[in-house]
Amino acid sequence: MISTIQARAPRPIFGRKQSTNPIIRAVVRHALIICALVILLYPLVWMVAASFRPSNQIFTTLGLFSAHPTLANYTEGWGAGRLNFSRYFINSFLIAILSIVGNLISCSVTAYAFARLNFPGKKFLFAMLLGTMFLPFQVTLVPQYIMFNYLGWINTYLPLIVPHWFGVNAFFIFLMVQFIRSLPRELDDSARLDGCGHFRIFTRIIMPLALPAIGVVALFSFVWSWNDFLGPLLYLGRSDLWTVPLGLKAFLDSTGQSSYGGLFAMSTLSLAPIVGFFILAQRLLLEGIATTGLK
Amino acid sequence: MIAAAAAVALLMTSCIGSSRTTQAQSAGSAGKGEVKGAIGVTWWGGDQRNRLTNAVADMFVKEHPGVTIDRQSADWAGYWTKLNVQAAGKSLPCVVQIQGRQLNDYTKNSVLIPLDPMIDSGAIDVSGIPKAVVDAGRGTDGKVYLVSYGVAYDAVGINTTVAQQAGVDVPAEGYNWDDFVSFLTKAQPKLPAGVAAANLQGGIPGVFLGWAQANGKKLFAKDGKLGFSKEDLTGYWNMWEKLRKANVTMPADKAAEELGPDQGFLATGQVMATEIPGNSLTAASNTLAGTNSSQSLTTIPYPSGPAGAGATALSANGFAIAKNCQNVPTAAAFINYFTNDPAAGKVFAADNGAPSNTKVLDAQLADASLSATKKHELDLYKQILAAKPPIIVFPPGYQATFEASFRRNYDEAAFGRMTVAQAVDKFFSEANAGLGQ
Repeated sequence: MISTIQARAPRPIFGRKQSTNPIIRAVVRHALIICALVILLYPLVWMVAASFRPSNQIFTTLGLFSAHPTLANYTEGWGAGRLNFSRYFINSFLIAILSIVGNLISCSVTAYAFARLNFPGKKFLFAMLLGTMFLPFQVTLVPQYIMFNYLGWINTYLPLIVPHWFGVNAFFIFLMVQFIRSLPRELDDSARLDGCGHFRIFTRIIMPLALPAIGVVALFSFVWSWNDFLGPLLYLGRSDLWTVPLGLKAFLDSTGQSSYGGLFAMSTLSLAPIVGFFILAQRLLLEGIATTGLK
Repeated sequence: MIAAAAAVALLMTSCIGSSRTTQAQSAGSAGKGEVKGAIGVTWWGGDQRNRLTNAVADMFVKEHPGVTIDRQSADWAGYWTKLNVQAAGKSLPCVVQIQGRQLNDYTKNSVLIPLDPMIDSGAIDVSGIPKAVVDAGRGTDGKVYLVSYGVAYDAVGINTTVAQQAGVDVPAEGYNWDDFVSFLTKAQPKLPAGVAAANLQGGIPGVFLGWAQANGKKLFAKDGKLGFSKEDLTGYWNMWEKLRKANVTMPADKAAEELGPDQGFLATGQVMATEIPGNSLTAASNTLAGTNSSQSLTTIPYPSGPAGAGATALSANGFAIAKNCQNVPTAAAFINYFTNDPAAGKVFAADNGAPSNTKVLDAQLADASLSATKKHELDLYKQILAAKPPIIVFPPGYQATFEASFRRNYDEAAFGRMTVAQAVDKFFSEANAGLGQ
């Protein structure tokens, strides 16, 4: 008699059979994620709730609701200072948009050169590019200030915008280099057969395909520029040039009376563009990923 | 092509460099000269401070046509970052706001000019300022580097309503440290739950300076190192540890989370007595009115001791002139105007400490629209000044090394991670390593 050895499934260590009901598993998974989300988001929600409380009652409770809800923080915070807070928003937007455009143009051009071209010294330059990423910003802080002061650019937006037009962000360049490298070279060759030079290949073939990378660069560029505190602190002294982070910090005065109500109200408002921008860029990322160049 | 671009950049910078020297006014000796041209003024502060400082600057510009003022302001923490970068780049604005505590960090690196020639020539008039306050602006070489326009002091803030309910009287004038400790210990049992008699003040450098001066200890030696002994500090920290263990003060973990004086424990009614900057009385009272509108606060001077009455160091806030300033006469005129002009003093309304100029201070006190708490702040300042407080010349490295190390090492002891003796040793080695260089 031939006995066949049947393969047996490995016995689970903990004995009990896990529920295979997909609905229960989905519910449990969602419940855990929602719990984690509530814990992570609570400080943010608390801040929004606190912005509706009078300034001198903000820190009295960890709860969300108060007996005296008020919109005064928003109206006072907006009109705070010599200028409306709208001025700070406009300044921040200006710097952010110019930085994004500069980053996109300069970083993509540089990335195309590193990914698709061959030129003497390419490896050395690429190594130097990566090397600048390891340089701590404290090292370049004072020399940069001296240079911009010499040029007379203090109290203007130029130190915050012009560097981005010269491809200083090694992170973005590296990101796009890796992305462009993943695009098949056959597309380039077929375009060359059709008579395209480097510029046409770059604008007509590579850039449309690199939309996800462009979305990432734009998103990070916006968030970093919007949140940048040290740059504006050093270079923007006049209060009518201030950006949103500087304007927010002015609510806190450790040497006098702080206005936490105004701070929370304006912080809530200043989160809106970031969230909005993320939602916009998210769609771009999805579109870019869903379609490939192989039409 | 790269070489050409570099050459153009070099040419540009040299052109800008030469034009700058031609339009600069030579730094007139003794600060006397024409008041015109551009100066930069930088200060710290929040919204209200910016508004008031800008208002005074506008008034100065109106009185001296031909002068333009480039204003730069930042919050307290960001201000020092910015100032350090500007000082390292030798591009400080002409008029720099600074305090006695940090003054010698900057004089050590020679980025400020002595103001004695301006005082002697009358460009900056200090005749209306008490001598003690003028001396508070001296550097380690004895020259005046900082002319103070506002004097801040530390005081003991007391919630009088809570003290009354606990059946203790606010300490009378001339009380000493023993009276203070017994005031706290007597009140503690009768306080409502959740309210402590005092905040845990062992790690606050200003309180220690007050105690050391009251007991006649020397604070800093000639070379800037610590002048008091380890036994002094051990005794002081043991005093606070005893109070903390008897639950007379806030527990250590709660005390470590306290916000600034305008939202701290006194302002929210959680503590009966604590150290606050004298000019926070108004802000703290406003906050208290929101939660416990029936309670009121007052401030009294620090406890005295065998060596003197109410010894609290006066902190002079004022302006200094940067070494790289190209327009010293205008800078000196601005400082003079800000400090001494009665109209300027009225507009600024003692926002950064009590006015140093006695006439301006008296005009403030006579102002009928002054709030009761603000009037008390200014009155207390006069009281402290009359007791001839000692002047402390802070050595370089005070703010960065002494203050940070003091707080941290006391916290280590209070949280039980080190014994008091170990914490004192560590503090001494850290502070002496960083001070006075």
